[in-house]
Amino acid sequence: MGCGVTKSNQFNKHSGKAIRAAVLIQRWYRQYVARTEMRRRYTWHIFQSIEYSGEQAQIKLYNFLGYLMDNFTPSSNERNLISHIFRENEVCRDAEWERYFCYKNIEVPEIYSGPHLFFPLTVEQAVGLVEAFRNKKQLHSRYVLQLLAETWKLFRMMPNINRISTCQSKEITICGDLHGQLEDLLLIFYKNGMPSLEKPYLFNGDFVDRGKDSIEILIILFSFMLVYPSEVYLNRGNHEDHIVNLRYGFTKEVLTKYKLHGKRILKLLQKIFSWLPLATVIDQKVLVLHGGISDTTDLGVLTRVDRHNYVSALRPPKKRHISSTGTSIDSDDDVWGKSFQRRASLIYPKPLGTRDSFHSRSLQDFSDRIKGNSEDDLEVRRRRQSVFINRSTEKETTLTVSTESVSSDNAKEEWKQILDLLWSDPMSQDGCVPNEVRGGGCYWGPDVTEDFLNRHNLQLIIRSHECKQEGYEFCHNRKVLTLFSASNYYDVGSNRGAYVKLGPDLVPYMIQYQATSMTRELTVRQRVGRTERSALKVLREQLFAHKSDLICAFKKLDSNNTGLVSLNEWATAVESVMHLGLPWRMMRGQLVTCKTSDGTVDYNEWFNELAIKGPNTDHIDQSLLETLYRHRSTLETIFRIVDTDNSGFITIEDFRQTWKLLSVYLKMEITDEAISDLSVTIDRNKDGSIDIDEFMEAFRLTDKKSRLERGRSMFMGTAPDLTKLDEEPNI
Amino acid sequence: MAPKKKEEPKPVAPVAPPEPARPNTPEFDPTSVTLEFTPEQIEDFKDSFQLFDRTPANEMKITYAQCGDLIRALGQNPTNAEIMHVLGKPKPEDMQTKMLDFDQFLPIHQHICKSKNRGTYEDFVEGLRVFDKEGNGSVMGAELRHVLATLGEKMREDEVEQLMQNQEDPNGCINYEAFVKYIMGS
Repeated sequence: MGCGVTKSNQFNKHSGKAIRAAVLIQRWYRQYVARTEMRRRYTWHIFQSIEYSGEQAQIKLYNFLGYLMDNFTPSSNERNLISHIFRENEVCRDAEWERYFCYKNIEVPEIYSGPHLFFPLTVEQAVGLVEAFRNKKQLHSRYVLQLLAETWKLFRMMPNINRISTCQSKEITICGDLHGQLEDLLLIFYKNGMPSLEKPYLFNGDFVDRGKDSIEILIILFSFMLVYPSEVYLNRGNHEDHIVNLRYGFTKEVLTKYKLHGKRILKLLQKIFSWLPLATVIDQKVLVLHGGISDTTDLGVLTRVDRHNYVSALRPPKKRHISSTGTSIDSDDDVWGKSFQRRASLIYPKPLGTRDSFHSRSLQDFSDRIKGNSEDDLEVRRRRQSVFINRSTEKETTLTVSTESVSSDNAKEEWKQILDLLWSDPMSQDGCVPNEVRGGGCYWGPDVTEDFLNRHNLQLIIRSHECKQEGYEFCHNRKVLTLFSASNYYDVGSNRGAYVKLGPDLVPYMIQYQATSMTRELTVRQRVGRTERSALKVLREQLFAHKSDLICAFKKLDSNNTGLVSLNEWATAVESVMHLGLPWRMMRGQLVTCKTSDGTVDYNEWFNELAIKGPNTDHIDQSLLETLYRHRSTLETIFRIVDTDNSGFITIEDFRQTWKLLSVYLKMEITDEAISDLSVTIDRNKDGSIDIDEFMEAFRLTDKKSRLERGRSMFMGTAPDLTKLDEEPNI
Repeated sequence: MAPKKKEEPKPVAPVAPPEPARPNTPEFDPTSVTLEFTPEQIEDFKDSFQLFDRTPANEMKITYAQCGDLIRALGQNPTNAEIMHVLGKPKPEDMQTKMLDFDQFLPIHQHICKSKNRGTYEDFVEGLRVFDKEGNGSVMGAELRHVLATLGEKMREDEVEQLMQNQEDPNGCINYEAFVKYIMGS
């Protein structure tokens, strides 16, 4: 009341009440925090499951295509469709490469308003590029090609492992995955300053894919590297790989932005990616690489490999012949031929066969020569954290290695080294096991870290490759630091990004940030709520895409055909179909709104409740449609492979062939008639060709409930497919 | 300067702020608790328990420190004192090291669920009304922050900030009925 009662008196008077009130608020607050944290956690699980599922799907697809190459006759249609991605660039000799890089005949028109480049580059030009991209300008292809040519020359002179030092008082700034998110790079430069003689930088891979400005990021990084070759360093990431780019958007981005010269730019980038250094060592004590290590990682071997032979880490290396003139020629022959039998798992002898094993087809092929075992069919997937347990039932398969010598063994060994370096993830348990969630590399434990650091006389590993909520995370007794620089990666507000500053004391100092200003004004709960809604939307789409299998599973549990199942049965059935290892019961409230009063679910009604709508597709076969929804990403990837001239169009005939390929891959019946219906829908102008983008757009699922803007989230672009685990072609 | 309390026993710890009503209770005996959860509820709890399980081998165990968070995540809102009580008043160093498995967790959770001392919307509003100097339905944000950080089971400054973010109007006042709805609506 303020009338003569002092504050302290007031407290004395009401103190009992005051305290009780305080405790009440505090209790509620603590509950609110715990619940929010719970929601955040399972939302994270959803996104991460889907992300890794997608990567796995990509590798499976790639293996499948490789298998086709091995096993179809050379003249077959299917093989012809895809053989070109396995053929190395036709231009073989270095001299010819120079010609291919040639930009001189490309004219820059008068009306071009973007930046002009003059070589050798100056820092003003590099800074100018940053400004231009901030203002949404695009660099002309002539300059892009010129830049790439210069970049290539520089990379070729670099060793596999860069060794740098923080001499005097220079701090080096290290950045993790950027994934085409230009906003984050601009934010880092804004907070930390641009690269300079006093400000060295190291970028740890995955510059491209998923985000929409991958090429701009590459241009900026390459430019600064050319200006300050001793101060700017780049490590290769698993996404600096044209096979991965086919699925994750970089290929599409370049072809869209550079309609005339995109193909050439991509080919040159293939070359450049293969020349990216593999790792960097700072002051002989800190190792920086993209993915991680395995129990066999050996820096000595890595120093000696011909890294540029590994254009894609997903492929075994090509044979190199030395021609009579002494210049080396990349063999254009059938890579899969004698020296590399892909009939057995190349890297890992065997799938893990435990109840916890995620679907265990990493870089394996599907030949019936592999001895399967019953655990292969176990389709239980644990959540990420708990994937690596209990190896007790691991078995060996025969590895049919080619009888050809040492060279192929060496090649295999080298390949594994590089694969592990780019794809591995740390785990909390000791040991080293294949990383089957992603499909490549390992999971490695604290004991492996300890051993590795001792052997190489190092004290810290800095790596990236995994999205972390705070932008960074220590593990293995703070001997391994994960650094991720793409904020809002899964969705607006999902995570922060971070960069690390390392001075001569080699104590890492982290700076965090989050790109969108919008998120700063949101409360924690609002941010969690947004991300959660986004994750649930993606999940609902996936549930819808698996409708027929889900109905099947429900019917099995609903023996009296009542159309109802209990909530428990609902959760069990959903997990048995989706294999995501998610806490379905906890998310039940958001996913099932049509409970009856006695706690049962009308499962037919439930699909209506999901409120997912497909396009107007009554005339199209239902199961075909479902396949389309589920395997969007795979289908799109195959289309892009088939589209050999990168025009964005494929012929009806190729379209048909693609579906045939997919039907083999998925072991599904797809009739010619069904395919015709599909193609007719989309070839509106009846000119016999289909626009890939238009096709994919036409069959996108939309969420009737969603009011979320279509942001940069990768989940709002190409809906990733959750390739069903039991759809391995068992050919 | 100990303020008066009604049914307070002696403070539990020497310098502890006064804690609200809990008459001298005997030690918590898990075996004395009858479980009344339905099988469905138990399945639900298992799911959540698993989400908290951070053991490398997935042993279905959580630390003592996580127990309170799990119970809260499942919808209860015990005080820290109540949590300590059901855990058998563990030492601070035990919180991160001692583990609970699911069967040990259930009676603890059951006990908390049965507690009548939940706090309704009205209790809450009443509590906040204490700080409503002018009786106009609002409290000063600054005062509330001060209280939350100094009385009861004190909150840290960053926790207070998180709670109060965007709640104050331009004059620094909070309409507490709306505030309570906001807190309870999580």
